[in-house]
Amino acid sequence: MKFGLAAIGLFLVLQPGARAQASDPATRQLIEQLMTRIDTLERRVAELEKAPGAARATAPAAPAVAAATPGPHLDHDQAPQPETTVPEAQPVYPSLKIAGFSDFNFSATDLHGANGGFQPQTLLGAHSGFEEGQFVLHLSSALSQKVTVFSELSLTARGDAGTGSPAAPGFNAEVERLILRYDLNDYFKISFGRYHTPINYWNTAFHHGQWLQTTISRPEMTQFGGSFIPVHFVGSLVEGVTPAGGLNLNYNVGLGNGRGQVLSRGGDFGDVNSNRAWLVNLFVKPDHPYGLQVGGSVYRDELNPLSGLVAREWIESGHIVWQKETPEFMAEFANVRHDFRGGGSSNSQAFYAQTAYRLPFANKWKPYYRFEQIHVPRSDAIFRPVVPTFSGSTAGIRYDFATFAAFKLEYRNYWRRDLPNINGIFTQTSFTF
Amino acid sequence: METAVKTQFSRRWILGAVLAPALWAAGPPEGNAIAIVVRPDVPVDNLSFAELRRLMLGDRQYWSSNLKVTLLVRAPGARERDVVLKTIYQMSEAQFRQYWIAKVFRAEAASAPRIVYSNDMAADLASQIPGAVAFVDAGQVPTGLKVLKINGLLPQQPGYPLR
Repeated sequence: MKFGLAAIGLFLVLQPGARAQASDPATRQLIEQLMTRIDTLERRVAELEKAPGAARATAPAAPAVAAATPGPHLDHDQAPQPETTVPEAQPVYPSLKIAGFSDFNFSATDLHGANGGFQPQTLLGAHSGFEEGQFVLHLSSALSQKVTVFSELSLTARGDAGTGSPAAPGFNAEVERLILRYDLNDYFKISFGRYHTPINYWNTAFHHGQWLQTTISRPEMTQFGGSFIPVHFVGSLVEGVTPAGGLNLNYNVGLGNGRGQVLSRGGDFGDVNSNRAWLVNLFVKPDHPYGLQVGGSVYRDELNPLSGLVAREWIESGHIVWQKETPEFMAEFANVRHDFRGGGSSNSQAFYAQTAYRLPFANKWKPYYRFEQIHVPRSDAIFRPVVPTFSGSTAGIRYDFATFAAFKLEYRNYWRRDLPNINGIFTQTSFTF
Repeated sequence: METAVKTQFSRRWILGAVLAPALWAAGPPEGNAIAIVVRPDVPVDNLSFAELRRLMLGDRQYWSSNLKVTLLVRAPGARERDVVLKTIYQMSEAQFRQYWIAKVFRAEAASAPRIVYSNDMAADLASQIPGAVAFVDAGQVPTGLKVLKINGLLPQQPGYPLR
C-alpha cells in the first residue's frame, strides 16, 4: 500500500501531460454528459423521496444483493459475488445447510502382520497403498430461533462392509452425530441425541473433518473405532457458558447409555445395563491470553463387555490448548480406572502433545510434531485385548494448497510393547466442500 | 532549450525523490473508525473489547433470552472486514473461514455470520433483523440505528479500538 501510494505520487509528479489531457475536447464532452446524467438522477431521487412511503414501497423492486449468507463453504477462493435477488432479512425455518468433508490417503509401513490393536483409520496396514478416507456430510438446520438440529453422516471404506460371504469390501454408513438442541440462552442449552463424547478436546474439536485437524490421523487415544475413551455418547447433554470474570467458563453435563458390549460402540440400541453413564466437562477460554483453552472432565460408567469382567469405569481427563497457529499447541491426558466387580482395579493412561507452526514466510506450510503414548497395565483385562500399549512420534508438514483443501505428508515411528517397532510414511489430501 | 528541459526533468526527479519517502512514511490514509451498529431495542449500549470478541467469535449468541445475536460481516475485500479480522479475530482470511466452518461443524453455532456487500446493505439488514449487529464506516452511520460504545468509547473518541 505504501509502495502504491509512493508510486502514484511519483507518477503524478512526473506526468507532464496530465493537465493537457483534462482539457481534451472529447474528455470535456464526456464529463458534461456524465454531469447531466447525475443531475437527472438526483432530480429523480428527490422526486421519489418527496412521495410519502414511496421509498419503502419501491425498495423490493430494486435490484439488491442477496442477504442469504453464502457462508464460508460457498465462498471458496473467490470473494462472493452479489446476486440480484431481494434481501431476505428474516430467517426462514427450517434452514438446512450442508457441508462435506473427505480425504484420500496413502500409507507405506514396514509392518508385517497384524498391527496389534491399532484402528484402521490409523492407517497401519500390512500392505502399502491408497485408501479412500471417510466421506462425511454435515447437516445443520435451525428449526426456530432456539431449536437447532445438527447431524454428521459418514461413509467409510471397509474391507468387510460389502455383501457376500465372506463380506466384500464396501462402504459402511453411520450416523456419527444427531443432536436436537434447545437454547434457553447462553447459560443453558439442553440437547438430546448421539454425540462425540465431550470428555476430550480432540473428540469434540475436529470430529470427522480430517481437513480441520493439522495431522493426518487422530491420536490413538481418541481414534475412531478405538476403545480407550468412549468416542460416542447417546443420551442428553446440558451445556452453556458464563463469563466468570473473563475466564469464560464452559460446561457440559451429560447423562447417557455409556459404552455398548463392544467397547468402541455407544449404546445406540439402549444401555447394556441399568446404570447410566454420566459426565461433567469444564473448560475455560480466558479473555487473556486470547487463544488459550484449559479444561478437564470426569466420566463414569459401568461396563459389561463381551469378553472380560464387569467393571465400574472412571475416566479423568485434562487438556490444554493454544488455539493459534504461530505456534499451535495441544496436549491431553486421560486416566481410565476399572474397578472390577470381583475385586481388583487397574489404571490405564494415555496422553499426547502436539505442536505446529504456520510458517510466516510461507504461510501455506505448517510443519508439525506429535508425541503420544498409551499404557495399559497387564492387569487390565478389559483393555489389554483391544487397546495397544505403545509410544509414537509423528513428524510431518501440512500444505494448504487451496483455502479449503490441504495436503499432508508425515513420518511416524511407533514403539510397541512385546512387538516390533513400526515406521511408516503417510500422505493425505483432505478437503471440505 | 535543451538545458531548460533537462533542468525541468531534474527538478521533477528531485521532487519525486523528496516526496516518495514522505508518502512512504505517511502510510495508507487513516480511514474512519468502524462503528458497531444495532437496533435501538438491543438492550446493550456498551461492550468491553473482550465482550465484543466473544460476540464475534460466536461464544455469546444471545443479547437476552429472547433476542439472538445475528452477525453481519462485510464480504472479503471491504475495509470493515479487514479491520474486524485484524483487531477482533486476529485471524487471516483463511483462518477466519476455517474458524467458522469448525464452529458450525462442532454444533456450536447454527451458521456462520451473514455476508453483506455494502454499508447500506449492512445498515438495512441491521435495522430489519432483531438482534443483528453490523460494522459500518463511522462516517456512514445511518439514522435509526444505535452505535455501541467499545470500552466506553464512541468511534470518534481517541482510543477507540476499531480503526
